Amino acid sequence: MSNEISIEQLLRWRAARAEAEAPPAPRAARLLELARPWWETWPERFQRLVERLGSIQIAYGHAMAEPVEARRSGYPVPTLIVRRAEELETSVCVLYLGVRDGRLRLRFQLEKAIAHMPDTVEATFVAQGFTRPLFSASAVLSVDNEYRIDCELPEKLARDWKELKVTDRMPFRLILRSDKEGP
Amino acid sequence: MRFVWFWTFWHWSKESFRAGHLLRSPLQGVGGHWDEWFQHEASEQDLRAIEQTGRSESTQREFIAWLFRHWADDCQGSPSRMAPRFVAAQLAQVPPFKKWRAFEKYRDSYGLAGVSALVLSGESAGGAEDVRRVEAVVLPADSAGQKLIPEGFQAEAAEFAAARSAAQGVLRGKGLLILLGLWVFGGRRPYPRWFSTALSAGWVAVAGLILFLLMGPEPGNQLFLLSAVLLVLWCTLMLVAAAAVVTQSFRAWRTGAELRAFLEQSQMRLRMNGGLTLKGGSAGLPFCLNLLLALHHSRPEAARRSWIWNRFFSEMHSEAESWAATGVITAAGYVSPVVIEPKLRACLQHNRIQHILTPRQREATQRALCAIKPSTGAIKKESSPELVSSPMQIGFAAEKPCLRIHRCRHLAQAIMALGRLNDRRRIIANVFPLIVSAIMVGGLPDLRSILLPYPAPVAVEPASASPYFLWASLDTKHPRYFSAVLESRYWSNRRAEVQPRGGLTPSVRAEIRLHRVIGTEASEEEGFVWIERRRRFLTREFLPGERVGRYSIPYLTRIGHE
Repeated sequence: MSNEISIEQLLRWRAARAEAEAPPAPRAARLLELARPWWETWPERFQRLVERLGSIQIAYGHAMAEPVEARRSGYPVPTLIVRRAEELETSVCVLYLGVRDGRLRLRFQLEKAIAHMPDTVEATFVAQGFTRPLFSASAVLSVDNEYRIDCELPEKLARDWKELKVTDRMPFRLILRSDKEGP
Repeated sequence: MRFVWFWTFWHWSKESFRAGHLLRSPLQGVGGHWDEWFQHEASEQDLRAIEQTGRSESTQREFIAWLFRHWADDCQGSPSRMAPRFVAAQLAQVPPFKKWRAFEKYRDSYGLAGVSALVLSGESAGGAEDVRRVEAVVLPADSAGQKLIPEGFQAEAAEFAAARSAAQGVLRGKGLLILLGLWVFGGRRPYPRWFSTALSAGWVAVAGLILFLLMGPEPGNQLFLLSAVLLVLWCTLMLVAAAAVVTQSFRAWRTGAELRAFLEQSQMRLRMNGGLTLKGGSAGLPFCLNLLLALHHSRPEAARRSWIWNRFFSEMHSEAESWAATGVITAAGYVSPVVIEPKLRACLQHNRIQHILTPRQREATQRALCAIKPSTGAIKKESSPELVSSPMQIGFAAEKPCLRIHRCRHLAQAIMALGRLNDRRRIIANVFPLIVSAIMVGGLPDLRSILLPYPAPVAVEPASASPYFLWASLDTKHPRYFSAVLESRYWSNRRAEVQPRGGLTPSVRAEIRLHRVIGTEASEEEGFVWIERRRRFLTREFLPGERVGRYSIPYLTRIGHE
C-alpha cells in the first residue's frame, strides 16, 4: 500500500475540513447590525454616557508661580473611558492636530496613565453641547501612552476645524471604547 | 549633507509647532512627532533613505554618532548637552528605530550613571530587584511649564517638588550654608600634600611658641622677637585658612547660583524603569541627588570653578553606580526616617552597591546591617540533589558585608559623603588650630603691649589722703601693663600693681603702703616712685621692662593739694 499523497490532494482535504468546521456565515441582518455605529445600536446607553460626559467639569486652575504668557499647555478635553467593567472620567491632552485634504490627524495623551489600556480604542467625538455624536474613529496606541487617529472628516467639520490649533479649546469631547465590547 | 531626512523631520516639527499643530516643543515631543512624521508626512525618498540607513548596524551607529556630534551642535534652541541622549532614547521607542540594534542601549536607559533608589515592590522583604537605577536628564524648560517629568513610573507631584526645592536650596540657599558649614568644620581641603604638611607644622610651631612663652626660661631681650614670630606665624596661618574658606565658599556660592538658575530654566526628566506607582516619599533623596548630577552632566564647565562642587560631581559621576540612597526629603533639604531593614537587605543582595545613604535613624547602623538575615523569599539557596546525597557539607565562609552606611540628617551631609569630602583628620586638624587660636586671641593684648608698647602714663591727682599710703595715680587706660616701684632710704622699697580703684576718689593708681625703715637718718621726703612697664603673656609675667617715669615722693603726696 502506498502512503504517498499529492500536495494538491492534501490541500483539498484540508480545505474541505476547514469548510466543515467553519461557523456559519452571518445573516445579512446581523451584518447590517454590525455595520451600524454603536450609538445607534445602543441609543439609551449612548444617551447616558453623553449626559455623563457633559457633566465632567475640567478646567485648569493656575495657582501661578510664573507668568501665564509663558505657558502653552492647551486645554484638557473631557473624556469618558468605557470599559467592560467600568466607566472612568478623565481628560486627554491634544498633542497634535492637523486637518488636511478632508482628513483629521490627531494625537492625544491621557492626562493620567490608566492601567490596562488597550492598544486600540474607538474614539467617539461628541460635540460640545450636543447629544449627537460627530463621528467615531479608531485610535491606535503610539509611543509614550499617546494615541493617534487618522480618519476622514465630514466636509463641514473639515472646513470648521481647518484653522483649529492645539492650544485652542477643542470643540468636542471624547468617549473612548474598547473596540469589541458590547453595551 | 548626511541624514537629510532627519533635518526634514526636524524642520517639519519646528514649523508645525510654530503653526500651532503641535503642543510640545520639537525637542520635548520628539518621539511622538517622529511617529507622526514617519507615518504620514515622510516622502518616498525620505523613507528610502531611512531604510538605507537602517540596513546595517554600522550605518545605524553612524546616525547615532551624527546625532550626538553634529545635530546637537547645529540644533538651535536646545542648549542642554543631554538633548541627544534624550532624542536617542525617545526615537528608540518608535518605528523604525525600535527595530534598529544600535538603539538597543537607549530603549530603557539614557546611558547615564545615577544613585540608585531603594523602592520596595509590593510585599517585598528586600531583594536585589528593589535597588532601582535612577537616571535624570535636563532639557530646556517645556512651554507647558512642567518642571519635572517621571518616566517609567508614577508619583505625586509633591514628591518631586520637595526634591527639586531641596536641590535648589543646596545650590543657593540655606542648604548651601549648611554644606559650607560642614565643609569648613570637617571637609577635605584643596591643598597639595606638601602644603597641608607645612600648615600642620606651622600650627605645631605656634603651639610650641606659646608653650615656650608660658613655661620656658626667661626670654629676656628675645621676648620681642619671639612675640613677633608668634604673631606673624599665627596671622599667616589664619589668613591662609580664612582665604581658602572664603575663596572656596564664594566659588561654591557662584557655581551654585549658576546651577540653580539653570535648574529653574530647565525641565528635569527622572527615569526609573519598572512601571511602579510610588507610594511614600522615600525615593526623594536619590531623586534629589540625581537632579544635581543631571545638572552637572548638562553643564560640566560650571562646576570646574568650584573645587567643592567639582569634587562632589566628579566623585558622584565616577562612583554613582555603587551608591544607593533612601530617605524622605523635605523642601528644606532635611532627610526624614523611612523603613530601613528591607532596604538594607536589598542592598546586601545587590552585588554593585557598596554605599548606602540613609536618614539618621536608630536602625541604620553597621551593627544592624550585620544582624540582617537574608529574607526567606529573596534568597533561595537551592542545594543540588548530588550534594544532598553525598556526605560533603557546604561551608559558608561568609565575609563581612562590604556595604557602608552613611547616615544623613540633611542633603548637605549626603553631598559630603558622596563627594568624599568628609575628612576625620581635618576635624582634628581644625580642632587643634581652634584651641591654639583661642589661646592666641586671649594673649593678643599682651603681645600687643610687648610689640607696640602703650604710651608712658603721667602721674595725676588724686593723691592719698592717708599718711600710711602713697598713691601713684596714672592717666592710662591699660593699667595692667604698668607697675610702680618705690625706691627710698626712709621708706621700705616696694612694688605695687597699677589697677583701677574705687572708693571716694576713684582712679587708676598704684597704692603703696608706707613702712619706715628703722634706724635710718634719711628724710621722709627722700625717694622716688618709678613707673615700669610690665611684660606678660597670659598667666606668665616676665621680668619688668623699661622704666618710663620717675616721680618724687613730695610730688605724689601733694599733687592736687597745692
